[in-house]
Amino acid sequence: MCPDPAYDPDMSGIRPSRLIRPLGVAIVSLAAATLVVGYLQDVVGVPNPSAVYLIAVVATALVAGTAGAALASVAAFLLYNFLFTAPRFSFSITDPGVLLSVVLLLFVGIVVGQLAALQRSRTAIATAREREALALFRLSRGLATRTSTLDVLQEVTASVRDELGMRRVWIALGPDDAAERIVADTGGEGRPAPAGLLQVLQRMPGETPAKWVRVHQASRSAGNLDTYRVRIEAGGNPLGSVWALRDRDGGVPDRSATRLIAAAADQIGQAWAQDQLAGAAQAAEIARQSDALKSSLLQSVSHDLRTPLAAIRMAAAGLRPDSQLGAVARRENADTIEREVEHLNRLVTNLLDLSRIEAGGLRVERETVELDDVLARAVERLRARSVDRTLELALEGPPVRVDPVLLEAAFTNVVDNALAYTPPGAPIRIAALADDAYVRLTIEDGGPGVPDGAMPRLFERFYRVPGRNGRSRTSGGTGIGLAVTSGFVEAMGGRVAARRSALGGLAIDLDLPAAEVPVELRA
Amino acid sequence: MTARRSAGAAVLVVEDDDGARATLVRDLEAHGYEVDAAEDGATALRYWERRRPDVVLLDLGLPDMDGLDVIRRIRREAPTPIVILSGRYEEREKVEALDRGADDYVTKPFGSEELQARIRAALRRGTGPAREAEGRLVAGPLVLDPLRHEVLVDETPVDLTPREFEILRVLLTHAGRVVTKARILRAVWGEAYQDEDSYIYVHVGQIRRKLAAADPAGQLRNLIGTEPGVGYRIATLERP
Repeated sequence: MCPDPAYDPDMSGIRPSRLIRPLGVAIVSLAAATLVVGYLQDVVGVPNPSAVYLIAVVATALVAGTAGAALASVAAFLLYNFLFTAPRFSFSITDPGVLLSVVLLLFVGIVVGQLAALQRSRTAIATAREREALALFRLSRGLATRTSTLDVLQEVTASVRDELGMRRVWIALGPDDAAERIVADTGGEGRPAPAGLLQVLQRMPGETPAKWVRVHQASRSAGNLDTYRVRIEAGGNPLGSVWALRDRDGGVPDRSATRLIAAAADQIGQAWAQDQLAGAAQAAEIARQSDALKSSLLQSVSHDLRTPLAAIRMAAAGLRPDSQLGAVARRENADTIEREVEHLNRLVTNLLDLSRIEAGGLRVERETVELDDVLARAVERLRARSVDRTLELALEGPPVRVDPVLLEAAFTNVVDNALAYTPPGAPIRIAALADDAYVRLTIEDGGPGVPDGAMPRLFERFYRVPGRNGRSRTSGGTGIGLAVTSGFVEAMGGRVAARRSALGGLAIDLDLPAAEVPVELRA
Repeated sequence: MTARRSAGAAVLVVEDDDGARATLVRDLEAHGYEVDAAEDGATALRYWERRRPDVVLLDLGLPDMDGLDVIRRIRREAPTPIVILSGRYEEREKVEALDRGADDYVTKPFGSEELQARIRAALRRGTGPAREAEGRLVAGPLVLDPLRHEVLVDETPVDLTPREFEILRVLLTHAGRVVTKARILRAVWGEAYQDEDSYIYVHVGQIRRKLAAADPAGQLRNLIGTEPGVGYRIATLERP
């Protein structure tokens, strides 16, 4: 049953209940016209008031269409003829003038009735068109403003169901029948499955209207429902189908409804194809950026790689048996080599880390760990390297859920940065603070800090604060270290921020996801 | 123990990079070891059969076979200490190697002194863990008695939960060696829990706190070392 009976421009589908109103209007308006005509002719004395019947004809035409208007015209002709023309109460007419006027009444009645009925059906069609246009507009707007096609499809199924008077509508995507997977469904009893007769919309090229073709019995057991299917295609490739269940009594969807469902299928096809193109374009953009990254990386890094290599080479030459260096100088050379190798190692490690972040190939294995435990090694190294700084440490905090290897690398980079840009004697403070869903690990220093304008850019790759030169060369000097830190922390579900420290220098906050720890394990 | 005591021990170096291998050999010989060097797995296993070295230094990336297979072959025959020479991006392989029976690892690039320390530790534990006659496990002032299910620090009992006790026992049994998290999980929680995160870090944190409370002198401060992403290692302490 259609939820909205007024929306059935197909006038042929008349059922007995729908005849009552036009019939009533015809009888009442004809009766009223008869009374008025009788009054005018017999009481007032108007010679030929038969035109009043035209009002009844028009009224009937507006509710009953062309056939009703014709019948009303004939009825009006007969009524006037029988009741008011001499000899009265007979169908015979003696006066040729009266005969002419009665025949004219019949003729004008039929014409006016037809015009009125035509006007009515035009209005009905215009209303239907407007509804169709509005539905199409909503559909295309929904798809055009989508963030994801899949999200919009649910709304599309609902609006197709309501606009077309379907029982249930679902959309399945897949290149062929076997691969189709349901992605949106208006819901209803049981599982969405074809029932009753299966009608598939056959679409023709050009102007030829699409038509429903009965394919086969989809299922015998389905009661009074039939299934309608419109294939979704884009560029000739099948992408899936729009499926609908409809009451058999409702008949095949009319042209306007068919156009709407066909348009829905087309729009979905376009949107889906567009999504796939956008995905491909994004992949290409990533590849392009990755190339750009590689070349800027080479530029930025070749200098930082060559300098320590030169130092190592020279120091190694001094260790040859034939060199003139004394024991102390030899020891210093060996120390230089070790230090430069360590520096190179950090640089290379950061480069590899950065390329893993950029490539999206980072594997994060999160565990519940305690900060002081997982950072113990890094802190030990820090102590060894910061003999001339004041180091404040407070790492006891609730456990965090991180990848210990990534966290250690992220932390080491921030610490290296602090060591590189602070003068001897400057304080470095490292503290952990629980903050709801996060544990905030802050590394701050009493160094010169960075200008406020540079803060937001500190975590960009290859960014160096203008005019700031590290006291010693470290990985931080290449604009890679903090980029790796931010990449790792974000990959672990945390976030990073830079701000001015109360100590005067820079403060870096690493917000790490706090771990849920069972009550019995809490200290 | 000192470096002098381990001098004269036989070391097998398995490393495919010529420069790295030559440097290693020179460094080890300078420290008084007897060194054999192999550039691939097949040569390594030939040397192993012929010489039965006291310790094996093994690079996992070999040209002819998987380094893990070398570990498996050696472990089938002897408990000879194996130290993995690992690149940083072989994180998972490192863990797998330890699970397959390797004893320790050093991450490239490593300094000569770190390597020497690892070799000394490996040779020391070649003589067996710190286990006393009645099965008590000892590390400095710490004694774990599996029969009486108690842990003592300087004769004072430390109150550990059953989980904590088991974790400490596993670590002490393999004192000096890296014990992977998977291994602890298997030993303490059983096979079923292998893939679950059982808050090992939190348990270890509790053990450390309890031991620290019972050890005001701080002799046990660095007893349980963390190898991030890999596992734990109990430092080999001299017996009192």
